[in-house]
Amino acid sequence: VFLWPSGDSNGATSCYINGKWLDAHYDPVANLYTFSSCIVLADLHGDGENKLVVGDLGTGSSNMKLKVYRGTGLMSENTLLDLPTGLVSFLMDQHEPRTPAIAVASGPYIYVYKNLRPYFKFTLPPLEVNALEQDVWNQAREDMIDPLSLKEMLDSIRDKADVPLSVRSLRFLMLDPQDMEAFVNLYKEQPIRRQTVITCISTLKKNMADEDAVSCLVIGTESKDVYILDPEAFTVLTKMSLPSAPTQMDVTGQFDVEFRITVACRNGNIYVLRRESPKPKYCIELSSHPVGLVRIGKNVVVGCAQETLQGFTQKGKKLWTVCLPAPVTTMSVMDLPTRGFQAVLVGLANSEVHLYRDKNLISTIKTPDIVTSICFGRYGREDGTLIMTTKGGGLIVKILKRTAVFDDRDSAPGPPLAQSIRLNVPKKTKLYVDQTMRERENSVAMHRAFQMDLSRLRLAAARAYVKALESSLTPMSSSLSEPLRMNAVVQGLGPSFKLTLNIQNTAVCRPVMNLAISFLYDESLYSMKTAFFKVTIPLLVPGLNYPIDTFVECLSDKGISDIIKVFVLREGKSAPLLTAHINMPVSEGLALN
Amino acid sequence: MLRFLPDPLLVASEPKKGRAPKAPELPIPERKNWLIHLHYIRKDYETCKDIIKEQLQETRGMCEYAIYVQALILRLEGQIQQSLELFQSCAILNPANPDNLKQVARSLFLLGKHKAAIEVYHEAGKLNDEDWEVHHNLGVCYSVIKDYKNVCVVSQAEEQLNAALQLNKQDRTFLTLGKVHLLSRDTDKAVDVYKAAVEFSPENTELLTTLGLLYLQLGKYQKAFEHLGNALTFDPSNYKAILAAGSMMQTHGDFDVAMNKYRVAACVVPESPPLWNNIGMCFFSKKKYVAAISCLKRAHYLSPFDWKVLYNLGLVHLTMQQYASAFHFLSAATNLQPRLGELYMLLAVALTNLEDLDNARRSYEQAVALDHSNPLVNLNFAILLYNHGDKKGALQQYQEIERKVNMLKDSNTEFDSELMDMAQKMATALQVGESLVWTKPAKDTKFKQGSAGVPIKTLGSSQQPLGTNQALEQAMSSAAGYNRSITPRVSLSQPKRSSVPLAESSGLENPPAVPGDASGTPRPEESDTPDTLPPLAAKPKVKSKSRQELN
Repeated sequence: VFLWPSGDSNGATSCYINGKWLDAHYDPVANLYTFSSCIVLADLHGDGENKLVVGDLGTGSSNMKLKVYRGTGLMSENTLLDLPTGLVSFLMDQHEPRTPAIAVASGPYIYVYKNLRPYFKFTLPPLEVNALEQDVWNQAREDMIDPLSLKEMLDSIRDKADVPLSVRSLRFLMLDPQDMEAFVNLYKEQPIRRQTVITCISTLKKNMADEDAVSCLVIGTESKDVYILDPEAFTVLTKMSLPSAPTQMDVTGQFDVEFRITVACRNGNIYVLRRESPKPKYCIELSSHPVGLVRIGKNVVVGCAQETLQGFTQKGKKLWTVCLPAPVTTMSVMDLPTRGFQAVLVGLANSEVHLYRDKNLISTIKTPDIVTSICFGRYGREDGTLIMTTKGGGLIVKILKRTAVFDDRDSAPGPPLAQSIRLNVPKKTKLYVDQTMRERENSVAMHRAFQMDLSRLRLAAARAYVKALESSLTPMSSSLSEPLRMNAVVQGLGPSFKLTLNIQNTAVCRPVMNLAISFLYDESLYSMKTAFFKVTIPLLVPGLNYPIDTFVECLSDKGISDIIKVFVLREGKSAPLLTAHINMPVSEGLALN
Repeated sequence: MLRFLPDPLLVASEPKKGRAPKAPELPIPERKNWLIHLHYIRKDYETCKDIIKEQLQETRGMCEYAIYVQALILRLEGQIQQSLELFQSCAILNPANPDNLKQVARSLFLLGKHKAAIEVYHEAGKLNDEDWEVHHNLGVCYSVIKDYKNVCVVSQAEEQLNAALQLNKQDRTFLTLGKVHLLSRDTDKAVDVYKAAVEFSPENTELLTTLGLLYLQLGKYQKAFEHLGNALTFDPSNYKAILAAGSMMQTHGDFDVAMNKYRVAACVVPESPPLWNNIGMCFFSKKKYVAAISCLKRAHYLSPFDWKVLYNLGLVHLTMQQYASAFHFLSAATNLQPRLGELYMLLAVALTNLEDLDNARRSYEQAVALDHSNPLVNLNFAILLYNHGDKKGALQQYQEIERKVNMLKDSNTEFDSELMDMAQKMATALQVGESLVWTKPAKDTKFKQGSAGVPIKTLGSSQQPLGTNQALEQAMSSAAGYNRSITPRVSLSQPKRSSVPLAESSGLENPPAVPGDASGTPRPEESDTPDTLPPLAAKPKVKSKSRQELN
């Protein structure tokens, strides 16, 4: 059995023992930022040994690389000019030796490598340019209009044109006036081009179904088109349009006979394109975005952002739905033709990779990190190799054991585990039981005692309430003529305190007049300048808060405090309108004299 | 082994257009859209935001898709107002894209500005009328305007949702349409919608459960059980389905199976008051009274204002002869639910046992005034009156019993044999037996079937197994054989017993809709009635009825 030296330097491999897989390699710092669309296994040199080709996005803005791995080691690196969108290997001609070329889609270009050397650069056909825009720039080239009027004209074109403006015009419209002149001079000589970018790439056999048959390139673009390119001349064989920008594709069939392109689009729908139809033939409308799209036999399996895995027929009829424990990160097909085994690998955000055959989960692989790309196939000379890259940039290689068997369990689960868990019923104490017995024997007496006490309680409460009302002990006066509310604040540490009374008239519209305030206190403890005064404001307007300040001197140095009673009185009436008891704080300072 | 070297000269080897004043190539604004989308759908929002920021800097805010996704992420993070503003700027950048308008409307909807959302959706609909999502969301908007009396709004909601369904069938459209029908009290239409939905997606447990509960509400127990069972097959820990199916099993006396199901639910939702209430009543039925009280008290703790729990607590305490406690629970229940005659009846029973006859009588009077169909209320009252020498009053109540019994006979409800026995004893005691309908030969035979068929009296359809689903039968095999009637158990050896009838008040999602008990057949609690007839037993019968909840 062919085996690579296990990556024992990192030691993490041994932690993730799985019965069906051998851990061949784990490099947590491989520094790969890539997706399933940028990973390919290909026999680049025709020596029967498959290499791993990875389009690495680098930092996401720089340092993009085309990396080739052989065994556990990096074999070569090519610098890429822009972010790789997708990467495929394909046979472009009949020449011997039959070594596949690598096509890297990036921006509006496809870079084709043969023997890992740059071979050809294909540029997407430019899009139609707005005729008005062309006119305006022509005028600018002949210096017939100044930059400001150019801007105005372009602005008006942008607002109503069917064909959008080119990048140049859009950039020009963003410029500050002082930079416009230079910009026009720099660009006016060049023809206007409108470019789109590639969003996904795949291959389609030209006219034979053989493993080593010549393949066409199929590319999806931001301009919502799908192109099929001739493998030798790199001319566009067919162009098809979609209602939305494609995100990933699955292609089957042969170009010259019949083919079927299943495209997941950015609007959350999946379209099926066929030969001789420039428009989609079928449409699957999902309720959430497709994250992964895989075809198994004649069925399409879609992993949705809503944490579901759904199966459809190729005509778009829903077959089944499985709920997943976590969001899908990537999907790939696991195809073992020698064993006649096909299943779907689903990478999940909970650091697991699930293997589904139809709707049945047949195996789970735990990974040390969240998997972002999966590729299954022949690597080196080993047929069943699973290659995964992780979010942290790690590279995992696992080999399927030859003894591994995936038994197709029936998905009907037994009773859930929770059914055998005992219910957590609170226990009752002996005291409770005793009291129950007591109640049984004396229920009548208990009830009567309770009712009696309840009545007494009600009576006592009613009495206290009546008393409070009668003596106006409450800080709220409920009398109809003078509805007042008062609260008091004491400030200071002592021996002098500032006493603030906030009085408010709660009547709807009637003012209150002629109020007086009187204090009652222990004269051996406290002294006040005026223990009785009329409210300084002649009338209390409803709703407003009237603060009334007065000063209290504490006479004792023994650290004792007392209550000061405040009465709000009405002239000519002896019963107070309301009463407040102020609990004075202990004086913390000593009287000066 | 390396047959070639990495090629550092790739850059130089690129074909280039050599023009004299080399103008730098301008980056295409959409060039990273695919990457933004890729990260967005994988829910890697942090990376996504970084790329968007970079891209917006590069294009000076002109990249429509980057702003669009930024707004989507903001909305997911709860910053709806900001997302609305960004979507609006997208709509300015590209007014021809219906997606931008749709998202503007969605944000407006989430902000509660439903009318504004409707307007924007209509705008989006003008750009693309074939979009089910626009129609669906319009339907949702109309349905949340909360103006169900306004026929126009309701019909518009229905119209839009139906339009959405015609364009594309989606589970959530079905659910919303069903809800709209329910809210406008059109149960038949709602059932039709849910049926169609279940046909379209037979594995959606939410649809199955909703339809099951709806059937339960309509009293179609067999269909209800079938759908709830299906839901449980696909999701064995579906809380709603468990509670509904469990309460049906309880109704059929299948307490062990119900308990099994409840155990699953207790793991999923350990703090559910209805669940603990039902578990409590299971224990009660199995005569584990202390455990029943424990569970009910937990339910009461979790939901102190639920009168059903208080009712059951009162019932269990009555059974335990803890009349003083029962009184408190029942009086609390009457405060929360002052319109249920049976509650007052239980309160009266407690009061009778507490020897507070005046209040007991008052409580009975209240019960009789509120109740319209349960003969037991009158029977218990009649016994009280008779035992205290008010034969005239007892007779009056007895006539009332007859009226109710006749009424119920028409609707093909069977009666508990104890109720019948007691009523006949009453009739004899009041010496009205022969003269009244109660014992008239024609009715008598029919009646005797009810009272004499001691073990089980079956209803028309009830012999069929309840569930037809295979998996369901597996799961609930014991439930299947039961039929709807309840086995009265009479054991005179005990001084007092309560046989427990179960009535579920199927308070689906809105308890006030069906507070009544649908299927519980009355079952009296027999007091120590001596076999010698004329002097009636000193203690009244309690019709005990436990309440379960489905929710």
